Amino acid sequence: MLPIDEAAHSSRWRRRHPVDKAVLGLGLTVLAISLPPWPGAALVLLTSLVVLLGPAGVPRRRLWRAYRVPLGFCVTGALPLLVQVGGPDGFVTLAEGGPVRAAELLLRTSAASLGVLLFAFTTPMSDLLPRLVRAGVPAPVVDVALVTYRMSFLLLDSVRRIRDAQAARLGHTTRAATWRSLAGLGATAFVRAFDRAARLQTGLAGRGYDGTLRVLVPEARVSVRFTTVSVVLLAAVAALTFVLERPLT
Amino acid sequence: MHIAEGFLPPAHAIAWGVASAPFVVHGVRSLTREVREHPESTLLLGASGAFTFVLSALKLPSVTGSCSHPTGTGLGAILFRPPIMAVLGTITLLFQALLLAHGGLTTLGANVFSMAIVGPWVGYAVYKLLRRYDVPLMVAVFFGAFFADLSTYCVTSVQLALAFPDPSSGFLGALGKFGSIFAITQLPLAVSEGLLTVLVMRLLVQSSKGELTRLGVLVAGKRDTTTEAVAR
Repeated sequence: MLPIDEAAHSSRWRRRHPVDKAVLGLGLTVLAISLPPWPGAALVLLTSLVVLLGPAGVPRRRLWRAYRVPLGFCVTGALPLLVQVGGPDGFVTLAEGGPVRAAELLLRTSAASLGVLLFAFTTPMSDLLPRLVRAGVPAPVVDVALVTYRMSFLLLDSVRRIRDAQAARLGHTTRAATWRSLAGLGATAFVRAFDRAARLQTGLAGRGYDGTLRVLVPEARVSVRFTTVSVVLLAAVAALTFVLERPLT
Repeated sequence: MHIAEGFLPPAHAIAWGVASAPFVVHGVRSLTREVREHPESTLLLGASGAFTFVLSALKLPSVTGSCSHPTGTGLGAILFRPPIMAVLGTITLLFQALLLAHGGLTTLGANVFSMAIVGPWVGYAVYKLLRRYDVPLMVAVFFGAFFADLSTYCVTSVQLALAFPDPSSGFLGALGKFGSIFAITQLPLAVSEGLLTVLVMRLLVQSSKGELTRLGVLVAGKRDTTTEAVAR
């Protein structure tokens, strides 16, 4: 299992309905990209961090390990905004207002990422996917996504073990050997995926499979109280942004 | 190459979502029809989705000495066809956003457009075109994967340039800026992914003729698989 999903399964909010957590987490993400970056995104970032480490109880180290991935993309993505092309002072020069634009982008993306992480760290995929049918996603697509989700872990595990076996046989010592090992890894993943699908099909056929995968979904009800508190929090962040709004200089 | 969460302004995020929607809906219809006609396809398609997800998690050695990961769009399009890849790619990108914090939900539309729509369609078109002119299978596979990868980066550059035009030279300057940054790292990676796809396909032709025939990549009943006509 992947670290974020593993954390979601043991989250304090695991039993809450995904809608509750979507209103809060994805609401914060929407605010992060809609509000002025300063102080809007900064407030969203702060609120998300407090909720993640406080009520949601996400372990600090796990959060950092997951957060540094999008943070790296945010930093490298913001760097090109520091320069401009084809100005009067030369072909590539420092852009006027570039640092401000880069800082605003960095604030916006880092805050938006935390909002999604709040949702991801508290909502296991196995709770979310079956409920997508009610949201209007066709059942066959949800079934394919469910099989993809469950099979991904098995395949990732197989790939890890094959890679270890290849390394033990000096499969990564030279560049040519690395390429050969990598190609073998990709091909074996394909073969194993199809083999598992065939065996699963045989097993399900023996149990009267009619094309629909029926899975048990933990019962949960949308909490009016939780949703109301979340909406009030989002409204407060938006209101505070407009009160404190000043251009970032 | 995934555009990170919150990177695009809201109007751009919505616009790319709207642009992707018809392709994804078309793919969903193809997938639903396939599953209704052949219920066992659910498992096969799920396995294909898992394969695509795992493929994007493989570390690919790059010419510069660092490493990256393959997009898998070229191989996926050749094996499963672009309409199905639009759906599988969307599912994969959703999983990457929620399980790996890679990409994002607000940028899902833009990422789907570049990685699950343009990449597979361009790669598949190049592959089919070359096969029509009797170019050997592995050469067609290489160029299919290469152009799938390259077109994905080009579209991502356009998306970023539209969102962040250069203060001095506007959209074109920004396109040159983002394009040249991508070119340094992604051109060697596109070559690497092309080579890897050829190696994977060679192994698959040796070990999984049945599956490849079932997917329509190889034609049943011919002995020399490397010169198969790919008619789908």
